[in-house]
Amino acid sequence: MSKLFELKDGSVVVVIGSGAGGGTVANELAQKGIDVVCLEAGSRLTLADIVNDPPAMDAKIGWHDKRMGSMAWICKTVGGTTMRWSGVTPRIQEHEFKALSTYGQFDAGTTLIDWPITLDELAPYYDKAEDKMGVSGTHGIPPSAETNNFKVMKAGAKRVGYKEVTSTRTAINPVARDGRAGCQQLGFCNSGCAMGAKWSTLYTEVPAAEKTGNFELRTEVMAVKINHSKSGQVTGVVYADKAGILHEQKARAICVAGNVVETTRLLLNSASPMFPEGLGNSSDHVGRNYMRHMFAITNAVMPNPVNYHRGTRQSGIILDEQYHKPGRGFAGGYILETLGLDPWNLSNIVGGWGSDNTKFTDKFTYIAGAFVTGEDPPEAANRITLHATEKDANGLPVPVLTYRDHPNSLAMREHSIKMLRELYESLGATEFHGGDVPLGAHNMGVARMSAKAEDGVTNRWGQIHDIPNLFVSDGSVFSTSAAANPTLTIVALAIRQADHIAARMNQKTL
Amino acid sequence: MNDSFTTRRRFIVAAVTLSTITTSLSSPSWLSLSAAWAGSTDDSAAAQTLFTGAARLLFPHDRIPDSVYASVMTNVLAAAANDPGLSSTLQSAEDSLNSRRSQPWVALESPEQLAVLQELQGESFFVVLTETVRGNFYYHPDVWKYIDYPGSSKEFGGYIHRGFDDIDWLPEGS
Repeated sequence: MSKLFELKDGSVVVVIGSGAGGGTVANELAQKGIDVVCLEAGSRLTLADIVNDPPAMDAKIGWHDKRMGSMAWICKTVGGTTMRWSGVTPRIQEHEFKALSTYGQFDAGTTLIDWPITLDELAPYYDKAEDKMGVSGTHGIPPSAETNNFKVMKAGAKRVGYKEVTSTRTAINPVARDGRAGCQQLGFCNSGCAMGAKWSTLYTEVPAAEKTGNFELRTEVMAVKINHSKSGQVTGVVYADKAGILHEQKARAICVAGNVVETTRLLLNSASPMFPEGLGNSSDHVGRNYMRHMFAITNAVMPNPVNYHRGTRQSGIILDEQYHKPGRGFAGGYILETLGLDPWNLSNIVGGWGSDNTKFTDKFTYIAGAFVTGEDPPEAANRITLHATEKDANGLPVPVLTYRDHPNSLAMREHSIKMLRELYESLGATEFHGGDVPLGAHNMGVARMSAKAEDGVTNRWGQIHDIPNLFVSDGSVFSTSAAANPTLTIVALAIRQADHIAARMNQKTL
Repeated sequence: MNDSFTTRRRFIVAAVTLSTITTSLSSPSWLSLSAAWAGSTDDSAAAQTLFTGAARLLFPHDRIPDSVYASVMTNVLAAAANDPGLSSTLQSAEDSLNSRRSQPWVALESPEQLAVLQELQGESFFVVLTETVRGNFYYHPDVWKYIDYPGSSKEFGGYIHRGFDDIDWLPEGS
């Protein structure tokens, strides 16, 4: 059962965040017999709390604390963004781990590096992650059921000559597995899965960790500062409870997994005389190289009904464009995925007003939709900083997000929209809209792994270069973004990191 | 066909739209149904008429009757009574719409009403008004009925036995 640890118990590993990275690393450590205290800013929902009502669910799971600048669509709830994600789980490709070697530096503003790890090294952990999450088409799991929206995409893909079209690589149970239900095609995947068919740490990693007796989850607590010793090792996490009262949980090691905005804020807000620019920031890379993928969304009015609200939001993908083919006019690649929307989302994504807008919503049942995620380059100027004077309710400096699309991303977006237009028009689409969606749902890179300390924030294990017992366990460690939806890689890296932490504890070096 | 992606203007509008909506979603203002529109009965009736007309021109659907637009805007005006920011936005909208021609906006012919809206679409109140109407309108179950969107599916067991894969018009062999 869930255990309770003393605040002064400095033998525990403190994990900050209970999402894809935090929930996974915490459970993996607990399974190995290591004591873990997990701090989560949000509250703990049950499946009964999940309703098919996007605004109501956004109020329950969204992160709504004060922020400035670019939007980041992330969650404050047990499970983090695994409550909101769509479940798409492609792997990063071999060449994407070698972004700088493959593409070269784009220009003076980009900061590409190669990952300090290779696909070969991560492959066994991808296997473990896919098994853990129940990824369709792997480990004997059947493919995902093909929704109407995917069938349209697949038919159009055939007409335009795409070959790699698959309804696998989704972490939503096609059939019941591992204590989780099979998908009932509710739709509303991005508002929490009321069936628990979609993998979320809320009902997988967290309860599994609690069963070990080595794990305590503290909810509605906000980490505000990490303390360290004179020798430069971290010693504990100061957090505010629901009433705003501060406590310090002592720690043997700390894993930060707050999603990029909160990970950046915590590292920078923990500045001290020894680390005046914040923890891990001697290289001035904390908060920089903020990546969030090239996104695009298209909606097409088809000649007959599609009903894309029925069933999973994303039930299949096209991989033909994921490769590096510079002849297209940009570096890196993108992945085409299905996407179904509700009427407000459709109206909002099409944008504007009047009949140019309502010619889509008016044919709601005739819409087929797609989402595109593609590689965006790291840039030093795309970054998260702390506001000099503005504070939030916890007295923490407000994060300021600065992100702009690189011209490479603009060219990639234009190409992807052109291809999708061709795909849907091949089946007789009568109206088409394609555009940007500045959502900030795939957040990466603010504490990136680098072979050389001066190029990043963390080493090949996600450990802060100059602090031996401080780790980053979320998408912040991505060296470059690749094209793939990031969650599978976050989970694979978290499993690998837990192995590393356990091995170092056994060797008495942690 | 309408592919407006390449225009810079639309890009900016989309960005503003999303950030505005984030703010809207985090506050209950546009979903609050409880409060009454503050002010005199005459003002209230005039505002209701004006905003019902504006809502139809902002999001025109021939199939949807005026009564539904009116019901949506009753909700918005009620919410504004408890939300000074929204109230002031609506007041600006009302003043601006009525001051563009020699006649009040509601007295204009429909094409002229539309022309006035187009003239004002760069104003900050216009963005808030549009997004407030969009949110209230497309999350109103009465609107869903007319565009065949059924809303929540959980209580009906999802779509696994209700047509998630029933498409029958795609070309053979696809």
